[in-house]
Amino acid sequence: MKFTTVKSKILFVAILIGFILSLNFFQKGTKGFFYNLSAPIQTTFWQLGERVSGFFGTIGNLNNLKKINDESQKTIQELLAEKASFAELKKENEILREALQIGLQKDFRLALVRVIGKDIGQESILINQGAGDGLSAGMPVVTQQKILVGRISEVFKSFSRVTLISSKESTFDAKVLASPGEAGGSDTDTTGVARGQGNSKIKFDLVPQDKTLKVGDLVVSSSLGGIYPGGLLAGTVIEVSRNDVSPFYQAEIKPLFDIQNSSAVFVILNFTK
Amino acid sequence: MIKRILILFAIFYLLALLQTSFFIHFKIWGIVPNFILISVLLINVLEKPKKNTGIVAGFIGGFFLDIFSSNFIGFYALILLALSFLIKIIFRKYVWAPTG
Repeated sequence: MKFTTVKSKILFVAILIGFILSLNFFQKGTKGFFYNLSAPIQTTFWQLGERVSGFFGTIGNLNNLKKINDESQKTIQELLAEKASFAELKKENEILREALQIGLQKDFRLALVRVIGKDIGQESILINQGAGDGLSAGMPVVTQQKILVGRISEVFKSFSRVTLISSKESTFDAKVLASPGEAGGSDTDTTGVARGQGNSKIKFDLVPQDKTLKVGDLVVSSSLGGIYPGGLLAGTVIEVSRNDVSPFYQAEIKPLFDIQNSSAVFVILNFTK
Repeated sequence: MIKRILILFAIFYLLALLQTSFFIHFKIWGIVPNFILISVLLINVLEKPKKNTGIVAGFIGGFFLDIFSSNFIGFYALILLALSFLIKIIFRKYVWAPTG
C-alpha cells in the first residue's frame, strides 16, 4: 500500500478514524461478535493460566509453606472459636425473631458464571453469561465465600462485563463492624465511602474523626446507598491516614477477592436497587 | 500488503486473547505487561523508517485492546496510531540508521 501524496495519506487516516469511531454505534454487536468467537479460546487460556501460575506459585512459595501453614492453623482455631459463639447467637437470634414475628432474612438467588477474561486496565472482568441468561446491569457479583467482586456494568447477549470494586468508576457505601470487646475497637459501626483507586486498591473515605479504624479491620458493604446488599465482605484495612485538620480521615483497603485464582463467581439475581 | 494486514490481524487477535486470559495470571512486580503495546513499539522501532507496517500494527493492536477492554472502540486504536506516527516521524527525520 503506497501513498504517493500527503493528501491521500491524510484522507486514508481520516477514513480509518471515522470507520473505527463509527463502530461505537454498533459497539454491543461488534464486541459481542468477538466475545462469541473468542469465548472457547479464552476459557481454555484462563484455565491454562490458572494451572501454570498455580504451579509456579507453589514452587515459589515452598520456603514459606510452613509459615503459611502455621498462620492458617492459627486462623482456623480463631475462626472455630468464633463459629461456636456465632452458633449461640444464631439460636438466640432465631428465638428473638420468632418472638417478634420477624421473618428470617431471605438468601440470595445466585447464578454461577465463569470468568473468561480480564480487562487490560485490570478494572473489569468478562463473564460468560449475559442478557440472554437473565442478567442485567447493576447486579452485584460475589465469590463463593460471599466476598464482593463488583457489579455488572455492561450486558451483551451472552456475556457481561463486571466492573470491579477496585475500579476508579466504583463508589459504594461501606462500614467496619463494631468490635466493642477488642482493644481499640469501636462501640458502633464505622461508616464511610469506599472508592476504587485502580490497581487493586480501594480508599475508605469520609470516616468521621471520632471513629477508630485499625489495620486488619474488615470492611463490609452497607445497604445504605442501595448499590450492594449489606454485609458482603469487601476488604481489609491496610493503612490508616489521619489528618487532624480535616473532619474526616481515610484508610486504604485491600480487596479480599482474588480474580487471578477464581474461574467462577456468582451473580446475585434478586437484588434490586 | 493485504497479506501483511491479515497476518497482523491474526497475531494481535491472539495476543489480545493471551493478554486478557493467560498473561493476566502472571504479575511482574504487581503489574501485567501490555504485550500488544510492547509489540507495536518494537515493530515501529525495528522496521525500516520508510515502511508503514508499524502504523498498521498500531491501529490493529489498538483495535483489539479496545475490543477486550471496557473503553469505547477507538480509544487505544487512536492512541497507538498516534504513537506509531510519532515514532515514524522521529525516526524518519531525526534518527539515522546504517542501511544493511
